[in-house]
Amino acid sequence: MDIKVLFLILVPLSTAFLIPLIDLINAKLRRFFVLLGILLESYLLVSIIINNFSELKKGDLFLQYHLGGWQPPLGINLVMDSLSLIFVVITALSLLLIVTYSIGYIGHHEGKYYVLYSLIAAASMGAILTADLFNIYVFIEMLTITSGALIGFKRSKEASAAAIKYLVYNILAGLLFFLAVLLIYFNLGTLNMADIALNFTTLSVQIKLFITAILLTSILIKMGIFPFIFWLPKSYDTAPSPVTAVLSGILSKVYLYIFIRIFWTVIGFKTLELLNLNSFLLNLALVSSLLGHIFALQSNNIKRLLAYSSIGHIGMIMAVIMLNSTAGFYGGILHIISHMFMKAGLFVSCGYLLQYTRSHAYRDFRGVGLKNRKVFIAFIILLLSMIGMPPLLGFASKWYVLIAFLEAQNYFGAFIVIFGSLTAVIYYLRYIAKGFEEAKLTDTELNEEIYSRPLLSVLYRGKIVSFISYTYTAIIILGGLSFRFLDLPLKISTLSVMNVEKYIELVLGG
Amino acid sequence: MTGLLKKILIIVVLLFTTLALYLNFILMPEYQGLKTGVSNYIIQSALRDTGSLNLITAVLYDYRAFDSLGESTVIFGAVSGIVLILSRKMLPVSSKGLSFIVKRTLGIITPFIGLFGLYVISHGHLSPGGGFQGGVILAAISIIFSIVYGSAFDYRRYSPQKKTILETGGALTFLTIGLAGLFFEGAFLHNLNFLTAEPGTLLSAGSIPYINIGVGFKVGAGLAIIFYSMIQKTFEEDY
Repeated sequence: MDIKVLFLILVPLSTAFLIPLIDLINAKLRRFFVLLGILLESYLLVSIIINNFSELKKGDLFLQYHLGGWQPPLGINLVMDSLSLIFVVITALSLLLIVTYSIGYIGHHEGKYYVLYSLIAAASMGAILTADLFNIYVFIEMLTITSGALIGFKRSKEASAAAIKYLVYNILAGLLFFLAVLLIYFNLGTLNMADIALNFTTLSVQIKLFITAILLTSILIKMGIFPFIFWLPKSYDTAPSPVTAVLSGILSKVYLYIFIRIFWTVIGFKTLELLNLNSFLLNLALVSSLLGHIFALQSNNIKRLLAYSSIGHIGMIMAVIMLNSTAGFYGGILHIISHMFMKAGLFVSCGYLLQYTRSHAYRDFRGVGLKNRKVFIAFIILLLSMIGMPPLLGFASKWYVLIAFLEAQNYFGAFIVIFGSLTAVIYYLRYIAKGFEEAKLTDTELNEEIYSRPLLSVLYRGKIVSFISYTYTAIIILGGLSFRFLDLPLKISTLSVMNVEKYIELVLGG
Repeated sequence: MTGLLKKILIIVVLLFTTLALYLNFILMPEYQGLKTGVSNYIIQSALRDTGSLNLITAVLYDYRAFDSLGESTVIFGAVSGIVLILSRKMLPVSSKGLSFIVKRTLGIITPFIGLFGLYVISHGHLSPGGGFQGGVILAAISIIFSIVYGSAFDYRRYSPQKKTILETGGALTFLTIGLAGLFFEGAFLHNLNFLTAEPGTLLSAGSIPYINIGVGFKVGAGLAIIFYSMIQKTFEEDY
């Protein structure tokens, strides 16, 4: 019973509830209030790590909290093991960086924005920490509704269309997840994840197959793996930059965590092997990765290009996790961390770079690098990390992913890793070159620029925005130089994924 | 052309997914009865554990109260999102309302609607109903005001600020009762045992009636806010 695990969810939740009241008192206070909430969360996390450091080092960190005082099969419980811890830490760090960025970026409708942002923070923490299947569904719904509203933040025609598309796809996925939860409760009479994991093998093969199929469909839609990628580029493109950073930096990683949790802990990888789904999923993820990189080649819009590249990277992460080996998890989780910071950093610096341009299109990218040279250099460093340049974090993670593929003798996967890097060189170099091109505005273009609506209503406090871009770059550089410090957390989290029996025993016995 | 191609691709993918899921679905064995795991225990001992005659309310606000907190937060988030996307700074253009007969009739009926809503909320632990259902009935009052008397009347009586305070107050009530459970009983959202009375009376079942009241006001105010933002007239230059 560790109360701090509970407060990781309650702090952002109560922040969200209190913001409308604070709005009535003084509208300027809310920014600092949200920042305070996220800082308090970081403090809780640091104190959890310090208090349990010796257990953490041995790899048997296990904290749980029974809500309402009911024991596991009956009530809901929150569980934090090594895998949850590493996801919570990176999510909280991203949340802190993006909320600071939002203070500098969001100029209107701040009240509602911060309410929705705090709800996203609470929901992502809840989805990571909970050990109850229906509770995961509740938090997934919360994530979908709040992020769907934030995608329509600009209130233009395109933004509304993208938000509707996002909501249709993701609520469909949520309903499929709900159906799977219902079927599991119907057949097993329990919703606790450890309890389900214990009894899932007793079901008949047909029921197992249907439950696995609908769970897979829903989570693949949420992550954006190949047959269901259509909602992703549009919503990444039209959402404001901090929201896009949340979408690609936090939400897709939370869904990856849910994927790992459900298909390793709850359903079990052996069931996937029994149903002959493991190699199918591996190849599907690799094809998705390939298609993501190919679509990125033909894209003429920087934010769409980054969205397609996200599809490529998430497909690669899913494929390397599907290898079900220690090396695979090691590389996969390291790439989750590095992709989280690289992509969020890219979107964040995009938000700064694209403030003067008419649209996100390739032709409007001309001269961007000359106008704001420092941020553009940070942007280039992040792009190099995406490609996999040696001293940066992207290189380390891609290297471990490549090694995992070679170890499993999956040469198609190894080819995809190399292919992704090579195509990335082509499509990123185009934009770097365009950014350094001298912009000579003709009169007609100047007129267009004056009379066209600006993309951002205001970007006041530009210094905070550029500072966060530099911070992301610094994280990438420092992480690349010292990625060996991540060795211990990666090893213990890999251990806790593979050791399902221990998880079940601790949840039901403790 | 590419748009058409993309649409065809999407339709083909969705059809294939539907087909695959359907093929999996028909493989399922026939109905073999419900597995009674947790539900059996709840049916037998929920009254003893929680003091609530309505077992669904017992599950919603005691055994799985955290889920209900999450669900009501989903409504909170949806309200914030709809207000964010639809809200305009200008006052809405109000109609003059319906005829005199309708106005007088509803003037008589409306208090009873409110009474019925409060009844459903406060008897959530005794009879079917509860915070979510009663809240919707309460929201109907605000909707009736806007339709029958014109939205300006609704705005003067219950301005969006008042509704926001009600909604936030409801959410904070839920959270506060949860924290009270933490302080008095030792676990978040634990039922407050010192409030328990004889089962079947109005103020029994520990903290369940109070959570119901909080959720009811939150849902009612939230739905009223959603309705109010939707009827606001929008102008093209507002974008």
